[in-house]
Amino acid sequence: MFNFKTVASTAMAAGLLALSATAPVIAQDKYDVYLSMSYIGNDWQAEAANMVKAIASHSNYADRVNLRVQVAGPNAQRQIQQINAMVQAGADAIVVYPISPTALNNVVKNACDKGVTIIAYDGEITEPCAYNVTIDQDEAGRVTAEWLVEQMGGEGDIVLMTGVPGTSVDAARTAAAKEVFAKHEGINVVGEAIGMWSQAVARTELSKILATRDWSDVDGLWMQVGCFTANAMQLEAGIAADALLPCAGEGSNGGRIQMLPAGTDVEGAASPYAPLGAPRISYASPPYSGALAFKLAVDVLDGKEIADLTTLPLPLVTSETVQLCETGSWDEQKAGCNAFLPSLVSNPGWFASIFSADLPEVGLNAALVGQPED
Amino acid sequence: MNHTDTAPSQAKPVKPRFMRGLQRSRPMLTALAVLIALLTLNSTISPYPLSYFDVSFLASGGTTTALAAMGQTLVILSGGFDLSAGAVISLVNAVLASQMDPTNFAASVPLWTGIGIAVGMAVGAFNGFFIAYLRLQPIVVTLATMFIVQGLTLLVMDKPGGFVSPSIGSAYMGDAIPNLLPASVVLLGVVVLLWLWLKRTPFGLALYAVGSDPEAASATGLRTGWVIFFTYVLAGGLYGLAGVFVSAQTGSGDPLVGNSLLLPTFAAVVIGGSRLGGGKGGLVGTIFGAYILMIVVNILLSLNISAYYSTIAESTVLMLAVLAGSLSASSPLAHKLRGARDYISARSKQMLITQRPYADKRLDFAAKVSPSRKAGPGFWTRNSALMRYTLPAFVCLFVVLLITQASFGNVFTSFRYWDALFVLSSFLVILALGQGAVILTGGLDLSIPWTIGLSGILVAGIVQGADGALIYAIPVVLIVATIIGFLNGLGIVALGLSPIVVTLAMNGLLQGVALIYSNGTPDGFAAPALRWMMTGEILGITPIIPTLGLFVLAAVLLLGRTAFGRRVYAIGNSETAARLSGVNTGKTLILVYILSAICAALVGILLTGFSGQASLGMGDGYLLPSIAVVVVGGALITGGRGHYLGMFGGALLLTSMQTLLAGTTLPFAFRSVFFGLVILAAVIALREKRSH
Repeated sequence: MFNFKTVASTAMAAGLLALSATAPVIAQDKYDVYLSMSYIGNDWQAEAANMVKAIASHSNYADRVNLRVQVAGPNAQRQIQQINAMVQAGADAIVVYPISPTALNNVVKNACDKGVTIIAYDGEITEPCAYNVTIDQDEAGRVTAEWLVEQMGGEGDIVLMTGVPGTSVDAARTAAAKEVFAKHEGINVVGEAIGMWSQAVARTELSKILATRDWSDVDGLWMQVGCFTANAMQLEAGIAADALLPCAGEGSNGGRIQMLPAGTDVEGAASPYAPLGAPRISYASPPYSGALAFKLAVDVLDGKEIADLTTLPLPLVTSETVQLCETGSWDEQKAGCNAFLPSLVSNPGWFASIFSADLPEVGLNAALVGQPED
Repeated sequence: MNHTDTAPSQAKPVKPRFMRGLQRSRPMLTALAVLIALLTLNSTISPYPLSYFDVSFLASGGTTTALAAMGQTLVILSGGFDLSAGAVISLVNAVLASQMDPTNFAASVPLWTGIGIAVGMAVGAFNGFFIAYLRLQPIVVTLATMFIVQGLTLLVMDKPGGFVSPSIGSAYMGDAIPNLLPASVVLLGVVVLLWLWLKRTPFGLALYAVGSDPEAASATGLRTGWVIFFTYVLAGGLYGLAGVFVSAQTGSGDPLVGNSLLLPTFAAVVIGGSRLGGGKGGLVGTIFGAYILMIVVNILLSLNISAYYSTIAESTVLMLAVLAGSLSASSPLAHKLRGARDYISARSKQMLITQRPYADKRLDFAAKVSPSRKAGPGFWTRNSALMRYTLPAFVCLFVVLLITQASFGNVFTSFRYWDALFVLSSFLVILALGQGAVILTGGLDLSIPWTIGLSGILVAGIVQGADGALIYAIPVVLIVATIIGFLNGLGIVALGLSPIVVTLAMNGLLQGVALIYSNGTPDGFAAPALRWMMTGEILGITPIIPTLGLFVLAAVLLLGRTAFGRRVYAIGNSETAARLSGVNTGKTLILVYILSAICAALVGILLTGFSGQASLGMGDGYLLPSIAVVVVGGALITGGRGHYLGMFGGALLLTSMQTLLAGTTLPFAFRSVFFGLVILAAVIALREKRSH
């Protein structure tokens, strides 16, 4: 038995080697672009994937690019394997939502060495040969914290809701915001909850904080995700809409609708997904970054030069600049609207920062159902 | 080896040694065959030839999982269970990446490999000490260790970065023989050789003995404590080696890199043919299991399977691979089929017990015993076991409440704290019944996260914010849950597969179904009545609280006062004994999994009411806590012991602790360590005084 096992394990190695001579190479005229996603179990990821699919099916790309989408889940080992399998399958370019900014470095380097274009969106890959499309996370943390301090007149107690601990994005945003708060002596951080970038988690975490504190003990909220939920909870606690706490937070459509002046007529609105005149600044890592990464990848394949790091303009919307869209087409968003009708977007946790001046191919329908603009 | 008890009269002629070895390693060989089949399939459907580089990459791609899963196999062979595996990999990666000198490109490979293994062994020794010498339950010790190690990792390194010397990378990722043998294969080969040697030592023999029957092993004079301790140390060393390999592979550090490797290690162990529960299997099969899991990624790509279907496809591979290893003339499925055939033939011959005329066959003296009851033991004697296992959770709860009172001062003065505590703990209180019943039978339900997710998405999608629709939406969701539980139960009973495998596969399946149903973004709202239930007010309290009170009462009665409850305990103590005493164990087990699925569905519905809407992944955070509350509440993970009141206390304890921590500004790393320590403290209080 023992001998047999040893034989078996060496047989496996031999088996691996024996497979190295098979199948002819198929001639190709279209670019093969692969998308390696992380986890698809949340709104942001699903939206980003929809937008990539939409732009790939737009007439600008449909007849010259083959897009294949694969999911690696939360496991970096699998993404490493997946990227390599994509290289092996003959990818011209790979668009990656990197699970880890560092773990992919070696496989990405190998891919680059084989002439494959690697472009990461939202998260960054630190390997120099990869292109990155992302927002400035420091700026996101800093600007929103400064807004909150200003709203509160530089004084008061605040609650923080952070993202997923151990990720670079969370570390950068939280550190930048805390730096701002530390500069103002009147600002005290009285509670810090781990929000995991989820409205559902934000709800349970805020409830835990409120078990030992009252809304009246808090003067402001800084949350990576959770302002929509925080406003809903204040309404449930009997706080009037005009007394809502200032909240610096995510760019969900629910939050944007709440920012509209109370009484605005909005089709499909139902409390708390309704105009409240909530004092807010809304920022987001925009879900169109995947579509832009796809576009840039094709540009590279076309022989164009692109920047190694594309820093997206930080989408910031305040209660003063929020504006309702009628249809959500790209043209309409270009004219400045940034919130969508609840009758079109039934999920308030859906991310509303989908406009990019560089992407006329994708509008609301792209993010919702993966359909490009005409 | 496991069928010697069936029919001694049909003694077969002794087979030659080689044939016996072949038969014994059948599950491992099946895994190898599956792996070869998948590799062949992949190379057939992939239009591009594999180069040596691809093969070497494939080999190193699965090595981390393989090494970690081999460690897990050792623990499982000893009859244990290790939830800290992934966390240790992250810790070692973080330690290496943060401690190496970024200017030294030629750091010593043996030195840093040694450091990595030593860190892993230290964690293993921590686990081993509590499990072997304090006789705590492996699952809960390693759960606490997981939280502690995750916290420590974030203290070492709070975000991805750091530096791992290229010398480590080229040593493990390079070639042992250029263009012929990747270094990763050699590494696995060395570990396998060490294992084959270890297996023949007295320790190896003792490992299998302890895993097969700890009492018998102890009775024959084996030092079981030492064997178990050493097993965890060795396993920790293998996780450490996996951490070193990940560092070599990635060239840097990420404090979360290993956490998602935990479930794949279990899958690899089971696919590789080792038996959960101990005593059977080996490390070589596990390697094949790990590579099967990795090659699936390539196959999904080659077949261009849509992202939404990928978890479904993976679950199918998991089920088929495990099934392939277990099918034989003596497998439970064959047994059941024969049983059904015999039942039908007996029925047609009118020979079933139920078809015979009823006759009182009690022995004479039985009737003479007068039914008059003697004064039974006193209340305290009768309930001493109940007290022993349920009180620790409540005592710890009291301590946490005192600390909360001292920090915030509103625990004993206002009802608001209690209101929030009960509402927040309601999810775990409900899950504790389902998971608790499953654990009482000796199983484990890993399909809870996506049963919650799918139920929430279904209920929000059907009601679309209208109260009237609840009348049919809730029954629909509960029927779906019943089907889920029934399929879980059927897989476990009829196919004879381990509950962990069946429910893990079910979880992946449900994730796919939820994604396809919601098309990536769940829509719809909770009905106002549901929202009122969780966030409204009636006589100053949230309406869910009185309902929860009724639920707890019903749960205590269900497990403590009904025939169903007694059967659950009977199965947990010994399924064979229960079956021989006339319990329809199959039916009871299926009912238990249905109960668990229904509880998860209720949580999904209530969570949707609580949040106002459903979201994908809303159940993700509830799997480990659901296990933790059951065990902290005094239940034995191997089944048969535990009381629902203890689990209720466990749910309150965990929630009150989270509430206390959320009210502070302590960094997450410290909270995680603290959380782990409290779980550990609670189970130390539950410690058995004597060996069992």
